[in-house]
Amino acid sequence: MSQSEIQFTFDDKTISALSGQSVGAALLAANQRSLRKTRFNKDKRGIFCGIGVCFDCLVVVDGITNQRACIIEAKPGMKVQTQDGSNA
Amino acid sequence: MHNVVIVGGGPAGLSAALAAAAAGAPVLLIDSNSRLGGQYWRNSVDELENQNEQHFDLATGLLLINAVKARKEIEVWSEAQIWSATNDEGKNTLRVIHQGKEKIVNTANLILCTGAYDRTLPFPGWDIPGVMTPGGVQSLLKGHGVLAGKQVVVAGTGPFLLPVAAGVIKAGGEVVSLIEANKSRRWVSSFIVILENLSKIKEAFYYIKTISRGKVRAQFGYAVIAAHAADNGELESVDIAKINRNFKVKKVKNIKCDVAAIGWGFTADTSLAGSLGCKQVVAKDESVVVWVDSEQQTNIPGVFAAGEITGIGGSDLSMAEGVIAGIAAAKFVGCKVDISKAHRKRRAKRQRFANALIKAYPIKTGWQLWPNDQTTICRCEEVSLGDLKFSVEELGATDSRTAKLFTRCGMGLCQGRICGRSVVDLVAKELNVLPTDIDRISAVNRPIITPIPLGVLAQGE
Repeated sequence: MSQSEIQFTFDDKTISALSGQSVGAALLAANQRSLRKTRFNKDKRGIFCGIGVCFDCLVVVDGITNQRACIIEAKPGMKVQTQDGSNA
Repeated sequence: MHNVVIVGGGPAGLSAALAAAAAGAPVLLIDSNSRLGGQYWRNSVDELENQNEQHFDLATGLLLINAVKARKEIEVWSEAQIWSATNDEGKNTLRVIHQGKEKIVNTANLILCTGAYDRTLPFPGWDIPGVMTPGGVQSLLKGHGVLAGKQVVVAGTGPFLLPVAAGVIKAGGEVVSLIEANKSRRWVSSFIVILENLSKIKEAFYYIKTISRGKVRAQFGYAVIAAHAADNGELESVDIAKINRNFKVKKVKNIKCDVAAIGWGFTADTSLAGSLGCKQVVAKDESVVVWVDSEQQTNIPGVFAAGEITGIGGSDLSMAEGVIAGIAAAKFVGCKVDISKAHRKRRAKRQRFANALIKAYPIKTGWQLWPNDQTTICRCEEVSLGDLKFSVEELGATDSRTAKLFTRCGMGLCQGRICGRSVVDLVAKELNVLPTDIDRISAVNRPIITPIPLGVLAQGE
């Protein structure tokens, strides 16, 4: 099985990913290290544990908040956004 | 109907599944990843022969993964999240989100192989994007073929730093610095254990060869004690300190990097076992682990545990424990099998090596002086060390549980998986007492195993 390339968007940018890659891995490969802003201090956060344990790499995927970028698989046409606070 | 339900598809879970199936028991293997292998044999969708680079021994992993897939007695649920587990008079109920639906699994016979994740320690700037765990850097490489950064500092303690540094070099990155907090001479006292586990030494040299090819010099007795962000809020440099044997800072220098992978050994993920009511104990490395008897059975009859959740010891020990748990579980459901002497000897030998590792890479209390009052301790709820101190000094918290209630420290989405252990230590330090086993065990108590969207429950079985 060879890996095909797919595209999704992060905020207003188009990001390429290999099939099977996580959203977080593809974003990091595109040099996008900050994925969200914290609720209170508005600090930037990115991938920390990389295996779905820490919930620090949260992004909004197709309108759904609190998705872990490190474990959610990138799919063609996905609309991924920076999570600002809890985005509620 | 499955006789044996196994949770976790890493070295322990795969070994347990094969042993139970070989003994004649039908198995359901529930795994949260999309591909079997756990963290140790994490692999990507790329062709497997392209992935050997990032592994010391992917061949063994593939052997087990393919054997599990080939056995018709084993059913595998991948990408399955268990969010709740209960035990009621010998009946275990798991609530699993699988393929977008909630499924309920009832079983009298369960093997828990839920593994471990990197232990981290808080320090100023550890929440800046670019500071990561070594496990995170490795999972990006093994699972996604992505190098986390160009100039990487690998730091902390333990043998796991070696494969991570080697992986970065193999993928074309630069390891700016490889720093180990402990001195290598701590190994001298374990000479005999090394001799009986020569394969582990071979593995270490395999990584060291790559690391020296990358012209990286490992420094012993140093630690990353602060990280600094550039104007864009992302990692630009770290402060590296020469530390004494108790981890107290002696001398500091600053080096530039875009990723700092910092890990302090591992923490067992006992959440599922805890929900079922399995007895947990504090191990020598102060981690909370699941108690098991010589047949890997927990205090609940029919519930077994194997691998890192019974004590951190690496993939070889996990496999040895998995085999024993698989046989014991098959025996429990009436299969005519027995654990052999050879199985027990293999586990004992690997346990001695695991014990030597824990002795060689201790984590000393000096780290508790690295954070300052502004340092974030709980990353989810943004609770600082100053907030924790306030809860002790002004609000009168007398233990970590009360401090947690006052500050919400450890009550965010990760449910204290990252900060819980450190909070117990930091609150005890503030109170000028030593943490009790009760403090440590209560810090890992999590009623919900994985947070899930409520909508999924509405359409469940």
